[in-house]
Amino acid sequence: MDDVLLSVSDFVALTNQTLEFAYPTVSLVGEVSEYKVIQGKWVSFKLKDEGAVVSCFGSVFQLRTPVQDGMKIVVVSQPRLNQKGYFTLNIRSLKPVGEGSIKKGFELLKAKLAAEGLFAAERKRALPRTPQHVAVITSTESAAYADFSRIINERWGGLQVEVAHTQVQGDPAADQIIRAINYFNGQETLPEVLVIIRGGGSAEDLATFNDEPLARAIASSRIPTLVGVGHEIDHSLADMVADVRAATPTHAAETLVPDRQEIVRATRTQVESVGNIVLRAIEQQRLRTKEALDGALRRTDEHIDRINERVRGLRLILAELDPHQVLRRGYALLRGSTKVGGQLQIETATQILTTEVKDVKSK
Amino acid sequence: MSKVNKTVQEKMVELNGLVSWFQGEEFSLEAAVEKFETAEKLAAEIEHDLQKLKNDITVVKQRFDREVA
Repeated sequence: MDDVLLSVSDFVALTNQTLEFAYPTVSLVGEVSEYKVIQGKWVSFKLKDEGAVVSCFGSVFQLRTPVQDGMKIVVVSQPRLNQKGYFTLNIRSLKPVGEGSIKKGFELLKAKLAAEGLFAAERKRALPRTPQHVAVITSTESAAYADFSRIINERWGGLQVEVAHTQVQGDPAADQIIRAINYFNGQETLPEVLVIIRGGGSAEDLATFNDEPLARAIASSRIPTLVGVGHEIDHSLADMVADVRAATPTHAAETLVPDRQEIVRATRTQVESVGNIVLRAIEQQRLRTKEALDGALRRTDEHIDRINERVRGLRLILAELDPHQVLRRGYALLRGSTKVGGQLQIETATQILTTEVKDVKSK
Repeated sequence: MSKVNKTVQEKMVELNGLVSWFQGEEFSLEAAVEKFETAEKLAAEIEHDLQKLKNDITVVKQRFDREVA
Protein backbone atom coordinates (compact mmCIF):
# COMPACT_ATOMS: atom_id res chain seq x y z
CA MET A 1 0.00 0.00 0.00
CA ASP A 2 3.10 2.21 0.15
CA ASP A 3 2.58 3.51 -3.37
CA VAL A 4 -1.22 3.93 -3.12
CA LEU A 5 -2.29 7.43 -2.35
CA LEU A 6 -5.65 7.54 -0.55
CA SER A 7 -7.81 10.44 0.31
CA VAL A 8 -8.75 10.73 3.97
CA SER A 9 -12.34 9.79 3.16
CA ASP A 10 -11.14 6.76 1.16
CA PHE A 11 -8.93 5.75 4.08
CA VAL A 12 -11.85 5.95 6.52
CA ALA A 13 -14.06 3.96 4.12
CA LEU A 14 -11.34 1.35 3.53
CA THR A 15 -10.70 1.03 7.25
CA ASN A 16 -14.40 0.52 7.89
CA GLN A 17 -14.56 -2.15 5.13
CA THR A 18 -11.63 -3.92 6.75
CA LEU A 19 -13.18 -3.66 10.20
CA GLU A 20 -16.51 -4.94 8.89
CA PHE A 21 -14.78 -7.92 7.30
CA ALA A 22 -12.62 -8.66 10.33
CA TYR A 23 -15.23 -7.90 13.02
CA PRO A 24 -18.80 -8.06 11.67
CA THR A 25 -19.78 -7.89 15.33
CA VAL A 26 -17.69 -7.84 18.42
CA SER A 27 -18.76 -8.44 22.02
CA LEU A 28 -16.82 -6.56 24.66
CA VAL A 29 -17.17 -6.58 28.41
CA GLY A 30 -16.17 -3.53 30.40
CA GLU A 31 -17.24 -0.83 32.82
CA VAL A 32 -19.34 2.14 31.71
CA SER A 33 -18.10 5.69 32.23
CA GLU A 34 -19.09 9.12 30.93
CA TYR A 35 -22.57 7.82 30.06
CA LYS A 36 -24.61 10.49 28.22
CA VAL A 37 -27.99 10.69 26.50
CA ILE A 38 -27.93 13.13 23.59
CA GLN A 39 -31.14 14.90 22.49
CA GLY A 40 -33.15 12.06 24.05
CA LYS A 41 -32.30 9.87 21.05
CA TRP A 42 -28.67 8.87 21.24
CA VAL A 43 -26.41 7.44 23.90
CA SER A 44 -22.65 7.59 24.19
CA PHE A 45 -20.29 6.28 26.84
CA LYS A 46 -16.84 4.93 27.35
CA LEU A 47 -16.25 1.24 27.97
CA LYS A 48 -13.13 0.63 29.93
CA ASP A 49 -11.08 -1.89 31.85
CA GLU A 50 -7.80 -1.56 33.73
CA GLY A 51 -5.75 -1.18 30.56
CA ALA A 52 -7.85 0.46 27.84
CA VAL A 53 -10.91 2.47 26.94
CA VAL A 54 -13.15 2.63 23.84
CA SER A 55 -16.03 4.92 22.87
CA CYS A 56 -19.46 3.47 22.29
CA PHE A 57 -22.37 5.07 20.45
CA GLY A 58 -25.91 3.97 19.78
CA SER A 59 -29.64 4.68 19.82
CA VAL A 60 -31.65 4.99 23.03
CA PHE A 61 -34.11 2.48 21.58
CA GLN A 62 -31.43 -0.21 21.47
CA LEU A 63 -31.14 -0.19 25.27
CA ARG A 64 -33.31 -2.84 26.87
CA THR A 65 -32.17 -1.87 30.32
CA PRO A 66 -31.06 1.44 31.83
CA VAL A 67 -27.29 2.00 32.04
CA GLN A 68 -25.30 4.04 34.53
CA ASP A 69 -21.64 4.86 35.08
CA GLY A 70 -19.86 2.12 36.95
CA MET A 71 -22.02 -0.72 35.61
CA LYS A 72 -20.30 -3.71 34.07
CA ILE A 73 -21.88 -4.53 30.73
CA VAL A 74 -21.44 -6.63 27.61
CA VAL A 75 -21.77 -4.62 24.43
CA VAL A 76 -22.49 -6.34 21.14
CA SER A 77 -21.29 -3.84 18.57
CA GLN A 78 -19.70 -3.08 15.28
CA PRO A 79 -16.36 -1.19 15.31
CA ARG A 80 -16.32 1.93 13.15
CA LEU A 81 -13.99 4.76 12.37
CA ASN A 82 -16.16 7.88 12.02
CA GLN A 83 -15.68 10.78 9.63
CA LYS A 84 -13.99 12.82 12.32
CA GLY A 85 -11.36 10.14 12.81
CA TYR A 86 -12.63 8.81 16.11
CA PHE A 87 -12.87 5.08 16.64
CA THR A 88 -16.20 4.01 18.12
CA LEU A 89 -18.21 0.91 18.72
CA ASN A 90 -21.68 1.20 17.19
CA ILE A 91 -23.95 -0.53 19.70
CA ARG A 92 -26.24 -3.31 18.54
CA SER A 93 -27.25 -4.47 21.98
CA LEU A 94 -25.99 -4.39 25.51
CA LYS A 95 -26.78 -6.01 28.80
CA PRO A 96 -25.45 -5.79 32.35
CA VAL A 97 -23.24 -8.64 33.56
CA GLY A 98 -22.20 -9.63 37.05
CA GLU A 99 -24.48 -9.70 40.04
CA GLY A 100 -23.93 -6.07 41.02
CA SER A 101 -24.59 -4.61 37.59
CA ILE A 102 -27.59 -6.83 36.90
CA LYS A 103 -29.03 -5.69 40.22
CA LYS A 104 -28.24 -2.07 39.44
CA GLY A 105 -29.90 -2.32 36.02
CA PHE A 106 -32.91 -3.96 37.64
CA GLU A 107 -33.23 -1.21 40.26
CA LEU A 108 -32.90 1.56 37.67
CA LEU A 109 -35.58 0.05 35.43
CA LYS A 110 -37.80 -0.73 38.39
CA ALA A 111 -37.64 2.91 39.48
CA LYS A 112 -38.38 4.07 35.94
CA LEU A 113 -41.41 1.82 35.50
CA ALA A 114 -42.65 2.61 39.01
CA ALA A 115 -42.47 6.33 38.19
CA GLU A 116 -44.70 5.64 35.19
CA GLY A 117 -47.20 3.89 37.45
CA LEU A 118 -46.85 0.48 35.82
CA PHE A 119 -46.84 -1.31 39.18
CA ALA A 120 -49.81 0.63 40.57
CA ALA A 121 -52.43 -1.49 42.33
CA GLU A 122 -55.26 0.30 40.52
CA ARG A 123 -53.95 -1.00 37.18
CA LYS A 124 -54.28 -4.60 38.30
CA ARG A 125 -57.15 -6.53 36.77
CA ALA A 126 -58.78 -9.47 38.49
CA LEU A 127 -58.61 -12.88 36.86
CA PRO A 128 -61.83 -14.82 36.23
CA ARG A 129 -62.53 -17.36 38.99
CA THR A 130 -63.09 -20.18 36.51
CA PRO A 131 -61.63 -19.24 33.12
CA GLN A 132 -62.55 -21.31 30.10
CA HIS A 133 -59.97 -20.12 27.57
CA VAL A 134 -56.39 -19.35 28.58
CA ALA A 135 -53.11 -18.73 26.77
CA VAL A 136 -49.76 -19.86 28.13
CA ILE A 137 -46.32 -18.63 27.08
CA THR A 138 -43.43 -20.81 28.15
CA SER A 139 -40.88 -23.32 26.98
CA THR A 140 -42.88 -26.49 26.38
CA GLU A 141 -39.69 -28.46 27.00
CA SER A 142 -39.35 -27.18 30.56
CA ALA A 143 -40.09 -28.97 33.81
CA ALA A 144 -42.03 -25.85 34.83
CA TYR A 145 -44.47 -26.38 31.96
CA ALA A 146 -44.83 -30.09 32.80
CA ASP A 147 -45.67 -29.18 36.43
CA PHE A 148 -48.06 -26.45 35.34
CA SER A 149 -49.95 -28.78 32.96
CA ARG A 150 -50.12 -31.59 35.52
CA ILE A 151 -51.52 -29.29 38.19
CA ILE A 152 -54.19 -27.65 36.03
CA ASN A 153 -55.28 -31.11 34.86
CA GLU A 154 -55.50 -32.33 38.45
CA ARG A 155 -57.32 -29.26 39.67
CA TRP A 156 -59.77 -28.37 36.92
CA GLY A 157 -61.32 -29.46 33.63
CA GLY A 158 -63.00 -28.10 30.54
CA LEU A 159 -60.27 -25.54 29.92
CA GLN A 160 -59.17 -24.62 26.44
CA VAL A 161 -55.44 -23.95 26.78
CA GLU A 162 -53.34 -22.54 23.94
CA VAL A 163 -49.61 -22.77 24.53
CA ALA A 164 -46.96 -20.69 22.76
CA HIS A 165 -43.53 -22.27 22.86
CA THR A 166 -40.71 -19.73 23.26
CA GLN A 167 -37.27 -19.59 24.69
CA VAL A 168 -37.36 -18.42 28.29
CA GLN A 169 -33.72 -17.48 28.72
CA GLY A 170 -30.96 -16.07 26.59
CA ASP A 171 -30.91 -13.04 24.32
CA PRO A 172 -33.74 -14.02 21.91
CA ALA A 173 -36.14 -15.00 24.71
CA ALA A 174 -37.59 -11.57 25.51
CA ASP A 175 -38.41 -10.80 21.88
CA GLN A 176 -39.94 -14.25 21.40
CA ILE A 177 -42.15 -13.78 24.45
CA ILE A 178 -43.16 -10.31 23.23
CA ARG A 179 -44.15 -11.80 19.85
CA ALA A 180 -46.21 -14.45 21.61
CA ILE A 181 -47.92 -11.78 23.74
CA ASN A 182 -48.74 -9.81 20.60
CA TYR A 183 -49.95 -13.00 18.87
CA PHE A 184 -52.49 -13.78 21.60
CA ASN A 185 -53.52 -10.12 21.93
CA GLY A 186 -54.19 -10.05 18.20
CA GLN A 187 -56.61 -12.97 18.24
CA GLU A 188 -60.22 -12.35 17.29
CA THR A 189 -61.43 -14.12 20.42
CA LEU A 190 -59.12 -13.13 23.22
CA PRO A 191 -58.16 -15.69 25.84
CA GLU A 192 -59.42 -14.72 29.30
CA VAL A 193 -55.99 -15.01 30.92
CA LEU A 194 -52.43 -14.82 29.57
CA VAL A 195 -50.05 -16.92 31.66
CA ILE A 196 -46.27 -16.54 31.41
CA ILE A 197 -44.22 -19.10 33.30
CA ARG A 198 -40.62 -20.13 33.73
CA GLY A 199 -38.91 -22.27 36.35
CA GLY A 200 -36.08 -21.24 38.62
CA GLY A 201 -32.61 -20.28 37.44
CA SER A 202 -29.67 -18.00 38.03
CA ALA A 203 -30.01 -14.22 38.00
CA GLU A 204 -28.68 -14.19 34.44
CA ASP A 205 -31.16 -16.90 33.38
CA LEU A 206 -34.04 -14.86 34.76
CA ALA A 207 -32.72 -11.57 33.34
CA THR A 208 -35.06 -12.05 30.35
CA PHE A 209 -37.93 -11.16 32.65
CA ASN A 210 -36.31 -7.86 33.61
CA ASP A 211 -36.24 -6.70 30.01
CA GLU A 212 -37.88 -3.29 29.52
CA PRO A 213 -39.75 -4.00 26.24
CA LEU A 214 -41.04 -7.28 27.70
CA ALA A 215 -42.21 -5.56 30.87
CA ARG A 216 -43.99 -2.95 28.74
CA ALA A 217 -45.58 -5.63 26.52
CA ILE A 218 -46.97 -7.39 29.61
CA ALA A 219 -48.20 -4.10 31.08
CA SER A 220 -50.01 -3.19 27.86
CA SER A 221 -51.56 -6.62 27.26
CA ARG A 222 -55.30 -6.45 26.58
CA ILE A 223 -55.56 -9.88 28.15
CA PRO A 224 -55.18 -9.95 31.95
CA THR A 225 -51.79 -11.43 32.80
CA LEU A 226 -50.59 -13.98 35.32
CA VAL A 227 -46.80 -14.29 35.59
CA GLY A 228 -44.98 -16.99 37.55
CA VAL A 229 -41.22 -16.85 37.09
CA GLY A 230 -38.51 -18.55 39.13
CA HIS A 231 -38.84 -19.40 42.78
CA GLU A 232 -40.70 -17.69 45.58
CA ILE A 233 -37.77 -15.39 46.38
CA ASP A 234 -37.28 -14.25 42.77
CA HIS A 235 -38.89 -10.96 41.82
CA SER A 236 -38.85 -9.88 38.20
CA LEU A 237 -40.16 -6.75 36.54
CA ALA A 238 -42.38 -9.02 34.43
CA ASP A 239 -44.26 -10.22 37.49
CA MET A 240 -44.36 -6.72 38.99
CA VAL A 241 -46.18 -5.32 35.96
CA ALA A 242 -48.44 -8.38 35.64
CA ASP A 243 -52.01 -8.18 36.83
CA VAL A 244 -51.37 -11.13 39.12
CA ARG A 245 -47.99 -12.40 40.32
CA ALA A 246 -47.53 -16.06 41.10
CA ALA A 247 -44.52 -17.04 43.18
CA THR A 248 -43.73 -20.06 40.97
CA PRO A 249 -45.16 -21.81 37.89
CA THR A 250 -46.86 -24.29 40.25
CA HIS A 251 -48.43 -21.42 42.12
CA ALA A 252 -49.52 -19.93 38.78
CA ALA A 253 -51.46 -23.13 38.01
CA GLU A 254 -53.04 -23.04 41.48
CA THR A 255 -53.93 -19.37 41.01
CA LEU A 256 -55.34 -19.89 37.53
CA VAL A 257 -57.97 -22.52 38.31
CA PRO A 258 -59.83 -23.62 41.42
CA ASP A 259 -59.39 -27.11 42.81
CA ARG A 260 -62.32 -29.24 41.68
CA GLN A 261 -62.17 -31.20 44.96
CA GLU A 262 -62.51 -27.93 46.87
CA ILE A 263 -65.47 -26.94 44.70
CA VAL A 264 -67.10 -30.32 45.36
CA ARG A 265 -66.50 -29.90 49.10
CA ALA A 266 -67.79 -26.32 49.00
CA THR A 267 -70.86 -27.42 47.04
CA ARG A 268 -71.61 -30.16 49.58
CA THR A 269 -71.17 -27.65 52.39
CA GLN A 270 -73.57 -25.26 50.66
CA VAL A 271 -76.22 -27.97 50.39
CA GLU A 272 -75.65 -29.00 54.02
CA SER A 273 -75.98 -25.39 55.10
CA VAL A 274 -79.31 -24.92 53.29
CA GLY A 275 -80.44 -28.29 54.71
CA ASN A 276 -79.68 -26.92 58.17
CA ILE A 277 -81.60 -23.74 57.32
CA VAL A 278 -84.62 -25.88 56.41
CA LEU A 279 -84.28 -27.94 59.60
CA ARG A 280 -84.00 -24.78 61.70
CA ALA A 281 -87.05 -23.31 59.93
CA ILE A 282 -89.00 -26.52 60.59
CA GLU A 283 -87.96 -26.47 64.27
CA GLN A 284 -88.95 -22.79 64.56
CA GLN A 285 -92.29 -23.55 62.92
CA ARG A 286 -92.79 -26.50 65.31
CA LEU A 287 -92.03 -24.27 68.29
CA ARG A 288 -94.36 -21.57 67.01
CA THR A 289 -97.15 -24.14 66.51
CA LYS A 290 -96.53 -25.61 69.98
CA GLU A 291 -96.61 -22.13 71.51
CA ALA A 292 -99.87 -21.36 69.70
CA LEU A 293 -101.43 -24.64 70.90
CA ASP A 294 -100.16 -24.08 74.44
CA GLY A 295 -101.67 -20.58 74.35
CA ALA A 296 -105.00 -21.90 73.10
CA LEU A 297 -105.01 -24.60 75.79
CA ARG A 298 -104.12 -22.05 78.46
CA ARG A 299 -106.91 -19.72 77.35
CA THR A 300 -109.40 -22.65 77.33
CA ASP A 301 -108.35 -23.65 80.87
CA GLU A 302 -108.75 -20.08 82.03
CA HIS A 303 -112.22 -19.93 80.48
CA ILE A 304 -113.22 -23.20 82.17
CA ASP A 305 -111.85 -21.88 85.49
CA ARG A 306 -113.93 -18.73 85.13
CA ILE A 307 -117.08 -20.80 84.43
CA ASN A 308 -116.36 -23.06 87.40
CA GLU A 309 -115.94 -19.99 89.58
CA ARG A 310 -119.34 -18.66 88.48
CA VAL A 311 -120.94 -22.08 89.08
CA ARG A 312 -119.47 -22.15 92.58
CA GLY A 313 -120.94 -18.67 93.27
CA LEU A 314 -124.35 -19.71 91.96
CA ARG A 315 -124.24 -22.83 94.04
CA LEU A 316 -123.54 -20.75 97.15
CA ILE A 317 -126.48 -18.46 96.31
CA LEU A 318 -128.67 -21.48 95.69
CA ALA A 319 -127.57 -22.97 98.98
CA GLU A 320 -128.57 -19.73 100.74
CA LEU A 321 -132.03 -19.97 99.16
CA ASP A 322 -132.59 -23.62 100.10
CA PRO A 323 -135.70 -23.79 102.56
CA HIS A 324 -134.19 -26.71 104.47
CA GLN A 325 -131.23 -24.46 105.30
CA VAL A 326 -133.77 -21.99 106.84
CA LEU A 327 -135.46 -24.78 108.81
CA ARG A 328 -132.02 -25.88 110.15
CA ARG A 329 -131.58 -22.39 111.53
CA GLY A 330 -134.73 -22.93 113.71
CA TYR A 331 -137.45 -21.53 111.53
CA ALA A 332 -140.61 -23.49 110.57
CA LEU A 333 -142.90 -23.68 107.56
CA LEU A 334 -146.66 -23.28 108.06
CA ARG A 335 -149.13 -24.84 105.65
CA GLY A 336 -152.94 -24.98 105.83
CA SER A 337 -155.88 -22.67 106.72
CA THR A 338 -155.35 -19.62 108.93
CA LYS A 339 -159.02 -19.33 109.85
CA VAL A 340 -160.25 -20.07 113.39
CA GLY A 341 -160.84 -23.78 113.62
CA GLY A 342 -158.66 -24.47 110.61
CA GLN A 343 -155.78 -26.92 110.70
CA LEU A 344 -152.18 -25.92 110.24
CA GLN A 345 -149.20 -28.14 109.44
CA ILE A 346 -145.96 -26.93 111.05
CA GLU A 347 -142.73 -28.25 109.50
CA THR A 348 -139.49 -27.83 111.46
CA ALA A 349 -136.05 -29.16 110.57
CA THR A 350 -136.79 -32.44 112.28
CA GLN A 351 -140.56 -32.63 112.70
CA ILE A 352 -143.96 -32.05 111.04
CA LEU A 353 -146.67 -31.00 113.52
CA THR A 354 -150.41 -30.63 112.92
CA THR A 355 -152.34 -28.04 115.01
CA GLU A 356 -155.65 -26.20 115.11
CA VAL A 357 -156.11 -22.38 114.80
CA LYS A 358 -157.80 -21.03 117.87
CA ASP A 359 -157.57 -17.30 117.44
CA VAL A 360 -156.62 -14.92 114.60
CA LYS A 361 -155.63 -11.28 115.19
CA SER A 362 -154.43 -8.71 112.78
CA LYS A 363 -151.02 -7.09 113.49
CA MET B 1 -65.06 -22.81 24.53
CA SER B 2 -66.17 -25.78 26.48
CA LYS B 3 -69.92 -26.12 26.51
CA VAL B 4 -69.83 -28.72 29.28
CA ASN B 5 -67.74 -26.51 31.54
CA LYS B 6 -70.03 -23.59 30.90
CA THR B 7 -72.89 -25.73 32.05
CA VAL B 8 -71.00 -26.46 35.26
CA GLN B 9 -70.59 -22.74 35.77
CA GLU B 10 -74.26 -22.14 35.10
CA LYS B 11 -75.09 -24.82 37.62
CA MET B 12 -72.77 -23.22 40.15
CA VAL B 13 -74.42 -19.84 39.57
CA GLU B 14 -77.85 -21.44 39.95
CA LEU B 15 -76.78 -23.20 43.15
CA ASN B 16 -75.43 -19.93 44.55
CA GLY B 17 -78.75 -18.29 43.68
CA LEU B 18 -80.64 -21.01 45.53
CA VAL B 19 -78.38 -20.68 48.58
CA SER B 20 -78.99 -16.92 48.55
CA TRP B 21 -82.74 -17.57 48.46
CA PHE B 22 -82.46 -19.75 51.56
CA GLN B 23 -80.53 -16.99 53.33
CA GLY B 24 -82.77 -14.17 52.07
CA GLU B 25 -86.04 -12.51 53.02
CA GLU B 26 -88.09 -14.48 50.49
CA PHE B 27 -87.46 -17.77 52.26
CA SER B 28 -90.62 -19.72 53.05
CA LEU B 29 -90.90 -23.20 54.46
CA GLU B 30 -93.57 -24.10 51.95
CA ALA B 31 -91.20 -23.52 48.99
CA ALA B 32 -88.02 -24.62 50.82
CA VAL B 33 -88.39 -28.36 50.40
CA GLU B 34 -88.66 -28.20 46.63
CA LYS B 35 -85.78 -25.77 46.37
CA PHE B 36 -83.66 -27.90 48.68
CA GLU B 37 -84.24 -30.91 46.47
CA THR B 38 -83.20 -28.83 43.44
CA ALA B 39 -80.03 -27.69 45.27
CA GLU B 40 -79.16 -31.28 46.20
CA LYS B 41 -79.62 -32.39 42.60
CA LEU B 42 -77.51 -29.51 41.29
CA ALA B 43 -74.69 -30.26 43.74
CA ALA B 44 -74.66 -33.90 42.65
CA GLU B 45 -74.56 -32.87 38.99
CA ILE B 46 -71.74 -30.36 39.59
CA GLU B 47 -69.71 -33.04 41.37
CA HIS B 48 -70.30 -35.49 38.56
CA ASP B 49 -69.49 -32.97 35.82
CA LEU B 50 -66.32 -31.76 37.55
CA GLN B 51 -64.97 -35.27 37.94
CA LYS B 52 -65.35 -36.10 34.26
CA LEU B 53 -64.14 -32.82 32.65
CA LYS B 54 -60.79 -32.84 30.80
CA ASN B 55 -58.69 -29.93 29.61
CA ASP B 56 -57.93 -29.34 25.95
CA ILE B 57 -54.28 -28.24 25.75
CA THR B 58 -52.79 -27.39 22.35
CA VAL B 59 -49.43 -25.97 21.43
CA VAL B 60 -49.93 -23.30 18.77
CA LYS B 61 -48.16 -23.86 15.47
CA GLN B 62 -47.04 -20.25 15.20
CA ARG B 63 -43.28 -19.86 15.65
CA PHE B 64 -41.98 -16.94 17.68
CA ASP B 65 -38.28 -17.18 16.92
CA ARG B 66 -38.81 -14.69 14.10
CA GLU B 67 -41.21 -11.83 13.44
CA VAL B 68 -44.84 -13.03 13.29
CA ALA B 69 -46.10 -12.71 9.73
